[in-house]
Amino acid sequence: MPSRPQLTIGGRTIAVDLPHLAFVTAIAAWCAWFCQDAWRAQKGVENLILIVPASAMAMILYIVVAASCIHIVPPQDHPPAAPRRPLAPGMASKIIGTMALLAAYVVCAPLFGFDVASFIYILTMLLLLGERRILVLVLVPALFCAIVIYCFNTLLATPLPLLLFPGDAA
Amino acid sequence: MIDLHALAAAVHLLGGSWQPWLVVLPGILIGLAVHAVPGLTTSMALAICLPLIPYMDFLQALIFMTAMYAGALFGVAIPAILLNVPGSAAAVGTTFDGFPMAQAGRHNEALGLALAASCVGQVIAYLLLLCLAQPIAAFAIRLGPPEMLMVSLWGITLIARLRGRHMARGLLAGVFGLLLGTVGLSVRGAARGTFGFDLLLDGIPTVPAIVGLFAAAELFNLVGREYIVDDRTRRQVNAGRILAGMRETFRHPGTLLRGALLGSGIGILPGGHAIANLLSYSEARRAAKDPERFGTGDPRGIIAAESANASSEGGSMATLLALGIPTGGATAVMLVAFGMHNITGGPAFMRDHADIVYAVILSSLAQVVLLAAAGFGFIFIAGFVVKVRLRLLVPIVLALAVIGSYALAQNLAGPITLAAFAVIGWLMQRFDYPVAAAVVGLLLGRLTEGALLRTYQMSGGDIGFLLTRPIALAILLLLIGSIALPYLRRGRPRLLEKRQGRIV
Repeated sequence: MPSRPQLTIGGRTIAVDLPHLAFVTAIAAWCAWFCQDAWRAQKGVENLILIVPASAMAMILYIVVAASCIHIVPPQDHPPAAPRRPLAPGMASKIIGTMALLAAYVVCAPLFGFDVASFIYILTMLLLLGERRILVLVLVPALFCAIVIYCFNTLLATPLPLLLFPGDAA
Repeated sequence: MIDLHALAAAVHLLGGSWQPWLVVLPGILIGLAVHAVPGLTTSMALAICLPLIPYMDFLQALIFMTAMYAGALFGVAIPAILLNVPGSAAAVGTTFDGFPMAQAGRHNEALGLALAASCVGQVIAYLLLLCLAQPIAAFAIRLGPPEMLMVSLWGITLIARLRGRHMARGLLAGVFGLLLGTVGLSVRGAARGTFGFDLLLDGIPTVPAIVGLFAAAELFNLVGREYIVDDRTRRQVNAGRILAGMRETFRHPGTLLRGALLGSGIGILPGGHAIANLLSYSEARRAAKDPERFGTGDPRGIIAAESANASSEGGSMATLLALGIPTGGATAVMLVAFGMHNITGGPAFMRDHADIVYAVILSSLAQVVLLAAAGFGFIFIAGFVVKVRLRLLVPIVLALAVIGSYALAQNLAGPITLAAFAVIGWLMQRFDYPVAAAVVGLLLGRLTEGALLRTYQMSGGDIGFLLTRPIALAILLLLIGSIALPYLRRGRPRLLEKRQGRIV
């Protein structure tokens, strides 16, 4: 297990679960910003009756959780391990790649068309996840696009933006 | 309690013609199939079928819609078990033990458990509705904003402490979800937390957010693996094992009955169908002698969640028929179908068309038999998902989820919400926060805010007002008890140890 980063302050060694602390701080920061944004928008009871007490509760809980991310390490003791299962080698890059491709797909598909964007997205994902058979790389994205886009546009009458086959529904 | 004349008329309506029965099987199959696509919802499927409603008579239309609803209530369990993708909030509780069972190669049994629990839940709910339709209507009228507020807060608290290990993280996830649920325009038109985007004025789209938090986040974890079930010998789709799962359901009658009763009760409340499964799961875990087994693939978890989910249909139909109030998206679309036939739900409808109400209840009881058969065939096909390589499944499911979320919102808000919440959900899982608490908070944010505001207006800020609302007070006591009980249980043995130590 990977150990936590350590700080030495005044002769005392402190282990900090930095990734968790960063995450919970981000949540608390959003809650605080949201409360401030609602306050700025309108100061009436109707607007703030739930948001202010809920945000205050979030801040109290943040302090409790943040405190649990920090541990004083006894002298001559090993630093505590991060309380999570470590990712398998190579997994972190694959997960980040999957997240990045998903982000690119959701932005590009409505702008450029779901037909082309879906084909490229599935093809790239297959390559990222280790598929190397040419037939699979071509057939899976093509079949997916044909079936799904036909179903949505024709059977469900739900228009999707398309680049190559706009038709009447799009 | 049962109007026998109306019941006899209902039997005549259903037995006198084969036409009402024509729509049952198509309705169930549409309901089952629609949830195979993450992001598609029951209300969307019902809305798509609305143009067909004017071509049916009123009873046929109602039976068609309840059949779709019944099919969908079980349909959501299939991706929840096989892929950890809850097609709607109603299947969140099913994922807790369903997906671990699938990963352990017990997907056949898990699907069988869900089908049987769903069928039994629906039977119990409709039998209750048959006997108690009139008293339920009278009870529902007595539930006001204070009761809604207490139910919402109780629901969030129960879910927050579901995992039990980190109470503060659970509560923070619930509060975070609650705040996310209030993003958008307030009742007085103030835009909150929208970052200036008009797309967020209506709030965060809930279905893409749920699919992102649960499904996409889980799919990230599956990225490096070959199959959902690692062991090749366990990837079989086996009718015998599905049936074994169905039989197993009846070995836990207490869990089944508790779930069905809780679902019927909570289902009468607006938004109740979304939390019924989670409350039932939480109660089953609390009542168990070995609660630590929940979340690791315990059949009781699936039975509790699915029986409550299925029986919430009966509760929500009671509110729709008796008060003319929809409790969720699906019943709201049904109300539109009422309007297409110039009929208004409510006490007058219950009085003047009691024969139709009973006919709908009786046909729903008959639908359960068809659901058991159609559902069995459907899960036999759906079970083959475990044989597909994850490197094919992950991109296909993610792309389907993105397309489904775009189709639902008809703008960029759906896909962007899905992607953003996928990352948040993955991080929450990684740092051991209960994602379900955030989801319930998100779903109940608006409802809680509205109920709190109306309670404040009714009471004029006087806390003593609660003493005049016994139901709200009882739920408040349950809420306090559900927080305090684990601490009291933990503290008691320590106290005994101390006393014994002193005596020795």
